[in-house]
Amino acid sequence: MSKVFPKWSNALPLKIVVFVFVFVTTLLAGITYYVTPKYVRVGYEPTQPVPYDHSFHVGELGLDCRYCHDKVDQSDVANIPAADTCMKCHSMIKTDSDLLAPIRESYATGEPVAWKRVHQVPDYVYFSHQAHVTRGVSCVECHGQVNEMEVVSHAEPMSMGWCLDCHRNPEEVLRPVDQVYNLDWVHPGGKQGQIKDGLKFVDERNITPPQSCTGCHR
Amino acid sequence: MKRAPYNHPESAELSGPRYWRSLDELSQSPEFLAQVEREFGPEASEMNEVDRRHFFKIMAASFAIGGLGFAGCRRPDSHILPHSKMPEHQVPGQALYYATGFPLRGETLPLLIETHTGRPTKVEGNADHPGYRGGTTRKAQAAILDLYDPDRATAHTKGTAKISNADVSDLLASLNKKYSASNGSGVAVLAESSSSPTRLRLKKAFLDAFPEATWAEYDAIDATNAGIAAAKVTGNDSLQPKYDLTNASRILAVDADFLDEEQGAVQFSKQFADGRRVRSSKDEMNRLYSVESNFSLTGAMADHRKRLASSQMVSFLAAVALELDLGVEGNSLNSTLSSLAGKLDPATQEWAAKCAEDLSAHKGECLVFVGQHLSPEAHALGLLVNEKLGNLKKTVSLVAVDNAASVSIQDLASNIESGSVNSLVVLSGNPVYNAPAGIDFAALLEKVGEVVRLGYYADETSEKASYHITQAHFLEAWGDGRTYGGDFVAQQPMILPLFDGVSEIEVLARLVGEANADGYSLVYSTFQSENGNSGKRAFDAFLNEGFLSAGYSVSNSNVSGLQVADLLNGYQSPAAPTQERLEIRFLNDASVDDGRFVNNGWLQECPDPMTKLTWDNAINISPVLAKDLGIVASDSAIQVARKNPNKVRDGRQFASVATITVDGREVTGAIHIQPGLDNYTVVLPLGYGRTKTGRVGTGSGFSAYAIRSASAFVANATLVLTGAQYQLASTQEHWSMEGRAIVREANLETYQKDAGFVDRLGMESHSPAIYGEVAETMSTQEKVTETPRGGSIYEHPDLTGTHQWGMSIDLNVCTGCNSCVIACQSENNIPIVGRDQVRRGREMHWIRLDRYFSSTSTDNTEIPEDPQVSLQPIACMHCETAPCETVCPVNATVHDEEGLNAMAYNRCIGTRYCANNCPYKVRRFNFFDYQQRELDKLYMGPLAPKGMPELVQMAQNPDVSVRMRGVMEKCTFCVQRINQAKIAQQAKAGAGDDVRVRDGVIKVACEQACPTDAIVFGDLRDADSRVSQLRENERSYSLLGYLNTRPRTTFMGRVRNPNPEMPDYQSQPLSTVEYNYASHGSHGEHGSSELHEEAATHDSHSDSEGGHH
Repeated sequence: MSKVFPKWSNALPLKIVVFVFVFVTTLLAGITYYVTPKYVRVGYEPTQPVPYDHSFHVGELGLDCRYCHDKVDQSDVANIPAADTCMKCHSMIKTDSDLLAPIRESYATGEPVAWKRVHQVPDYVYFSHQAHVTRGVSCVECHGQVNEMEVVSHAEPMSMGWCLDCHRNPEEVLRPVDQVYNLDWVHPGGKQGQIKDGLKFVDERNITPPQSCTGCHR
Repeated sequence: MKRAPYNHPESAELSGPRYWRSLDELSQSPEFLAQVEREFGPEASEMNEVDRRHFFKIMAASFAIGGLGFAGCRRPDSHILPHSKMPEHQVPGQALYYATGFPLRGETLPLLIETHTGRPTKVEGNADHPGYRGGTTRKAQAAILDLYDPDRATAHTKGTAKISNADVSDLLASLNKKYSASNGSGVAVLAESSSSPTRLRLKKAFLDAFPEATWAEYDAIDATNAGIAAAKVTGNDSLQPKYDLTNASRILAVDADFLDEEQGAVQFSKQFADGRRVRSSKDEMNRLYSVESNFSLTGAMADHRKRLASSQMVSFLAAVALELDLGVEGNSLNSTLSSLAGKLDPATQEWAAKCAEDLSAHKGECLVFVGQHLSPEAHALGLLVNEKLGNLKKTVSLVAVDNAASVSIQDLASNIESGSVNSLVVLSGNPVYNAPAGIDFAALLEKVGEVVRLGYYADETSEKASYHITQAHFLEAWGDGRTYGGDFVAQQPMILPLFDGVSEIEVLARLVGEANADGYSLVYSTFQSENGNSGKRAFDAFLNEGFLSAGYSVSNSNVSGLQVADLLNGYQSPAAPTQERLEIRFLNDASVDDGRFVNNGWLQECPDPMTKLTWDNAINISPVLAKDLGIVASDSAIQVARKNPNKVRDGRQFASVATITVDGREVTGAIHIQPGLDNYTVVLPLGYGRTKTGRVGTGSGFSAYAIRSASAFVANATLVLTGAQYQLASTQEHWSMEGRAIVREANLETYQKDAGFVDRLGMESHSPAIYGEVAETMSTQEKVTETPRGGSIYEHPDLTGTHQWGMSIDLNVCTGCNSCVIACQSENNIPIVGRDQVRRGREMHWIRLDRYFSSTSTDNTEIPEDPQVSLQPIACMHCETAPCETVCPVNATVHDEEGLNAMAYNRCIGTRYCANNCPYKVRRFNFFDYQQRELDKLYMGPLAPKGMPELVQMAQNPDVSVRMRGVMEKCTFCVQRINQAKIAQQAKAGAGDDVRVRDGVIKVACEQACPTDAIVFGDLRDADSRVSQLRENERSYSLLGYLNTRPRTTFMGRVRNPNPEMPDYQSQPLSTVEYNYASHGSHGEHGSSELHEEAATHDSHSDSEGGHH
């Protein structure tokens, strides 16, 4: 038979296989890194209409989370405070600050302040703040050290796998109920102590975090 | 992944700054600069020397930030809009409940409305009311969709021009002046009946202020005859009979559908169910006799049912009365009664006599219930019979109901005809559409100079009116009402009027010229005047409770036999209908009522409880008449026996079209052959065939008003086939259980002898579910967590949860009213699919009512003329070993720890294997994007406009995902309610361990709505819960239990209570007869009338149970 294929074509199948392997691996690695919440959502830090500084109000002044997010232990959603909550203090302090103009306007006109949403779970996910904070899961586990944030940014990926990490090992995050809103609290016994007490809490409080679909999807 | 900026050798005109000028405004604003800085840090701060690459980066970011598009680069911005000032009581994310009432004609149903951030989303019954106890009707449940109907009237109009609210006020004020000047002469009002005390007060004020005005009231199905009769026989004009089934152990319903159609049906259902809810074989049970022309739900529940034309009811009641001890009045009555009773055939007379005998044996604790549409003669006889049976003030009371004087629509029509009306106010109703056939109301309206119409829809009547005033929905307006028993019900608005509507009482108050004409003040002042000025505190308590106990006052009047005789003297008993002279019976449609709900998709798609037709009405005829007409082909005997007698092709019902003629008037519609009707009574549901309505109601059915004169039934009609065919949309073509023990029934006698009769029916008596020996000593609580496997090799789900959910459905009290179907639809965001899709069997209801007919015929070659009906609600059974789960290739349907068969919509890829493998056929597939696309454009695919109308979006429950095209769905046991209850309990527990939800805290939507409390949901792991108790009851059985699916929903077998003395007594329920015949007919040694008891000894059965329809 005459030479149909040149000699270099002998290596072609191998080259193709190697190329496809490298290409697919790179692609998958790329997708895994760039197209997952860990990359696309963590660090999201939109500019709010009023540059409310959590590190100042909570960290320095010592406001409790529930002063503003007062329904967090009564409802699925942790409410964004109404303008009148801000005005409780700011009708007396910094009454002519330009930065607070939108709040004063909202208070006067009744039009809401359009805060940018930082944390968002999909519509088919039903997360309840109430169920977590009342049972000893601190704000910090999902929202990070908000008390140190000048501008609130998205701290955790909030992907389903990330949720399940906790639901499978609740002992790693459970704390005394009175320390839930103390974002600086860490177990004095370190990781070991946390797990030991965590297991105790799981038992004492009859904690059974759902790991099946119906827990979050309705 | 940083790259060094690369500067293209660009020409001057392509360089950056030129582009920047076009985005000047945006880029120069300090806000934008700040955003860019924050987003990209110091790199992007060199705005003045920006290069092309940076430009594109920034532009993309600015688009994303500004929300202008290019959202792919960044998640689109979404906002949280908190209140400016936090309203009291509101917790974002938590529903608030307010009490109100659903007004329908002379009754207001006490309700609680679930609202989310000021938006009503779900109707619940007010469980605190002692009579209604939280029960609702399907019509009340569907009110939410009416409120958010995109086709409702959105503006007040004068002719075709829109006018403002202020114009309406001016108009009404000017009318008030004009009417005052003329003392009301030439003024007429046409209204519907109403139970509202405020309406009554204003009506009186109107008639006082304008003494020469006419007030007419009109309802499509008139319910005033009972009052006319009571007035005649007692001499007191204000009296009306009110029934009470609480202590009635024997009930005779005379053409009365008191479980569904009559006023007070919810209350009657509760009372009736209480008398029927046997818990052990020693319990007593009431007995229901029903005589009727239509096949109603009450007839379906009856222990003895007699088919009789509506026109013969007076004769029937006479026959009953004749059997009673009439005392001295007998002398004057006997001859009249005998001649009336003599018109009945001997079999009916005997039936009546035996029935009367049973009633006489229960004096003071029985009841004769006369249908509201029957003539005054029938009601007078009914009262007489009840009095002679000692039932007055026990099961039936004559109460004083003040409705103030009003004239009929006929009187109003003749007034208009004579030219004496120059200003007419039509308060809701729709007379142009539904006036009696002799009255051409459209033409009459043109004779009136000025017609002001208050209407919820811009409909046929509005078209003819000078002014259309948009009416507020009852969920938007203040109002009040009274229950069947007379308790005051508060009607509070849940939301401001969406389209500036005004309520009936507000219009009336302005016409009368009241100073405070806003709804709240009107209701408040009525309340104060009715309750001795008890003040604001009492009013607030009334609003909080939703009702105030205040029954109608019971009269001591006696029924005068002489007056009854007097009334009957002039009465000519009509001859029984024949094929040539048919009787036509009109009734408010089970779904669309008198036409007012025709644009409500939930109700349109809700199958009629008996015919199972959706979206259309039909000419319902009996099998005998069908045979006379030759509609069923003679060669289809087997099909007749096995299937719907109506012609079915490709699973679709093709109906012959016929024309009915009465008094020269005609109506044409499709025929539906309905077993159980009186042979020559044709039943026509009203309410369809509207000429001017919204998108849902247009083109739906035919208008039976065209041939209906005033009364609810007419004689001397003829029916002729046109030869055309029409495709009806039915949800259940098959009506036979084929001898399978799906619904298990026994007579009370059998049950008393053999309490465990349900275990001796069905394949489980031969081949029980495989639990193995270990299960014999296990309790229900252990079984539902450990799920003993017997010999089965499949893994079972890990049922370790704190709760194990289960449901029990008592078939003995379920009346099949479909209230649960609409409640479920509303709670779970279930779409409607339209007539065409229902014809293809794609309806989406998560719970359905299966309706079976069984007859005495064992060879099944004829359509049953007089069958028994068995109704069974079916939703997902949440099988412990669910067949659907094992076939799902993507694990989209799996079990959770608490025994729920979960459906993860996001995983579902739509293979539909699960639906194929479900023995109960409860899974529903979204063949189209029913929520997002218009139903008449489904097949246009992506070319059709997408999106749900904004108004309809407001009707959705925010706690339940809205499903899209291509996913499977089914009953979730209201997982959202379960989770909310669990979370609330956990929050309460805090650091404690008490996380178990108490029994009764969770009421799933169907359970909540059920007017007979047939459905009970709860925790099977809790041995004291209601559902655990019921599951262990001797009447409980698993549907198709032999398949070893271990359903979490169990049914309780039905017990019938027939009277052995009756001529139509059957020693076994007909479905049991059919079961015994079909499964054991080949065994010579077994009589077909005996329950099969030697299950273990039989091994060669040709049981037909394996097939499912």
